[in-house]
Amino acid sequence: MPPAATPKKKGGEKTSTSGGKSLKKKLSKSAEDDEFEQWQKSKQLLKPPDQLELTDAELKEIIPRVLQSLNLQQPDSVVEFSFEQGEFIPKPSPGSAVLVFSQKGTYIHRETDEARKQLIAQGIDPSAFVSTESEEDGAEETTREEAETESDVTEEGSENVGGGETKEAEEEAKPQTGKKLTNQFNFCERAALTYKYPIMSRETQTVPPPTDTFSANILQWIIYDGYQQDYEAQQLEKELERQRREAGRMPTGKQAIKKATGKSSHNEAMQGRIYECWKTLERMLNLSTYDYIAKDYRYWEDPADEFREEEGTLLPLWKFAYDKTKRNTVTDLLWNPFYYDLFAVCLGFLDFMNPIKGGAVLLFTIKNPSFPDYICITESAVMCIDIHKKYPYMLVVGMYDGNVMVYNIQATCKEPAFQSNSVTQKHGSIVWEVKWVEDLPDGEMNFFSVSSDGKVNHWILMQNEFAVTTIINLYLEKEQVRGPDGTLVKRKACATCLTFHPVNPLIYLVGTEEGLIYKCSTAYSTSYLFTYQAHDMPVYRVDYNKLNADVFASCSADWRIKIWEDNRNEPLYVFDLGSCVGDVKWAPYSSTVFGAVTSKGSAYIFDINVNKYKPICVQPVVSRKKYKLTRIAFNNKLPIIICGDDKGCATALKLSPNLRLPCKPPKKQQHLDQHTLQLMKLDKLLSLVREPATLTAPPDPAGSTDS
Amino acid sequence: MSNEVEETMKRIQSHKGVVGTIVVNSEGIPIKTTLDNTTTVQYAGLISALSDKARSVVRDLDPSNDLTFLRIRSKKHEIMVAPDKEFILIVVQTPTD
Repeated sequence: MPPAATPKKKGGEKTSTSGGKSLKKKLSKSAEDDEFEQWQKSKQLLKPPDQLELTDAELKEIIPRVLQSLNLQQPDSVVEFSFEQGEFIPKPSPGSAVLVFSQKGTYIHRETDEARKQLIAQGIDPSAFVSTESEEDGAEETTREEAETESDVTEEGSENVGGGETKEAEEEAKPQTGKKLTNQFNFCERAALTYKYPIMSRETQTVPPPTDTFSANILQWIIYDGYQQDYEAQQLEKELERQRREAGRMPTGKQAIKKATGKSSHNEAMQGRIYECWKTLERMLNLSTYDYIAKDYRYWEDPADEFREEEGTLLPLWKFAYDKTKRNTVTDLLWNPFYYDLFAVCLGFLDFMNPIKGGAVLLFTIKNPSFPDYICITESAVMCIDIHKKYPYMLVVGMYDGNVMVYNIQATCKEPAFQSNSVTQKHGSIVWEVKWVEDLPDGEMNFFSVSSDGKVNHWILMQNEFAVTTIINLYLEKEQVRGPDGTLVKRKACATCLTFHPVNPLIYLVGTEEGLIYKCSTAYSTSYLFTYQAHDMPVYRVDYNKLNADVFASCSADWRIKIWEDNRNEPLYVFDLGSCVGDVKWAPYSSTVFGAVTSKGSAYIFDINVNKYKPICVQPVVSRKKYKLTRIAFNNKLPIIICGDDKGCATALKLSPNLRLPCKPPKKQQHLDQHTLQLMKLDKLLSLVREPATLTAPPDPAGSTDS
Repeated sequence: MSNEVEETMKRIQSHKGVVGTIVVNSEGIPIKTTLDNTTTVQYAGLISALSDKARSVVRDLDPSNDLTFLRIRSKKHEIMVAPDKEFILIVVQTPTD
């Protein structure tokens, strides 16, 4: 530094000559320069190439520079022309100050007049405001000072955190004594750092579980079927378990056979189902084809009946026939007791001069008039049938050749389930009527049959054969005749019909070719309970009234129908129809209505309550020249009758409303039901016809005098 | 039994107004028919779909119930369908009136 100081002094000495103020300035300036040069020295000087080369003398020449307080560039004596006065007016000098930026403030000093005015406008007393302000100012100042001191203190405290707590407390206590200071932020913060556990990530990959896409429709019934199948499978499992257990006990065989039969039985069942479906289809076809008949059957009620007093009509509906039995005669008709739409037709023959080989039992349903539902073809003509009440599939038929057969149509129609042995068991002649009776106490089915050989047989269905006993031989109460070899022969009656008492199962009636009706009991094998001298010609039918078991009707080839009361020799009513009466049947719905058919092809309906002398309906059903009517049957439920003719055809007819009038209850006895009313109706009628039980001759005075 | 089935089918075919009968198996393939090929295929396909749907309706309303028969009455024909689990029987009839 000393070498630097010397030129400074030298320069100073040189400039001191030039003058007082400027010199001082120069000195300071040169000093600054020197210092600057000092800094520069360390650096290498870079000279521009065109720098003037100066000599030492030129370099040493001092060029004075003078700084003055006067601004020489400042314009002097500025004037402005005033057009008003018409002369130049000197403007005041702008001064040495240069205005760089100016902005007008919005603050007002509070002691100025303007501030006062504002305060008054705001409704504040300016004097009060000024004083309080000044006081507050003072307070503020003090607090600021204290805050400063305290901040100092806290700074000190923070500096020596380790041991200065007590000191801090002392320092704190000190300002509190002066003025209470509320420190809202007086809290202590403490922090601790815990160990940080290292984060680890580990991955493994397993074999994905097997997946399968499954889709199905789910409906309620599918779920139901699923459960049902599951249940069946469980049952089968149980069954198999049981069988296995049993198989363990017993030696086995036949298993292979079983399997085979299982398959074939499935096939069989399938065939059965197909057959059923075809049958349904056939019924439906018929329903469409015979639509008008179906409507007639259901809805047609002859409106003319309202204007006829008592007569009615029969509306022909369907005709039931089977091609293969067209030559046969309908020998019996019977509605099934269980299936109200099903009826059996027996096909045999009655013209014994022209025997026909073969017969059949056909089961028709009114749902399918075109073809029988069941067909049982027999070798011999079928003469009669009965259907078991409890087992509506068990049919017993009586044949022309004296045999009886029992069919189980549920199993098969092709061959009978039971057949009488044609050598040892069969009747000697035509079986005219068969009747199921109530099962024996140990459950065996049994029936009775009557035949032209004059026997009433009782048949019991054993395991696979009949057990037969002859209940009665119907001997005529006539003299014995001498046979060809001289022995006396008791003559027998030829039974043609049989009926059982609806209430008492022991009592039955047998009609004979001789025209007699025997009332018998199964308990007595030799004697008759009663004998009715009924007809002059063969009795074709005896039928008990459906409601009153004391009344029965009989019909005969002597053109007559007779109504009988039990144990009364004389008939109550006799009707002559003018031709051979094939059949008579009581209606199931009324106690006084019965129907009959004649060989002239007409059906007759009688209501003895309406007309005691004439039928209320006579209707030719078939052509009277060609056909004969042989049998009639009332349906148990529907207002329908069927009539059979001698050409193997059964005709269904609908009864018009007049033929099936229900009983009107008398005014005083409205509560009575139809059954009692029907019984009352018949009783009333009977009381009119009945003769007094014993006729006591009135005392005859004349006669007494004679004697 | 199969004999009787045959007979019944023949009998139905001879009924008045019957146009044709078709037997369809469970897969909807016609086994037996009296109609021409294209008509049979058409009937078999459409009717089996319809009867499936109809069965579904009946079973859904009551799972213990089942469809036994179906009749479709059109202006020209009456189609009668007897559906089963393993087969469908179809009869086409022209109403007489």
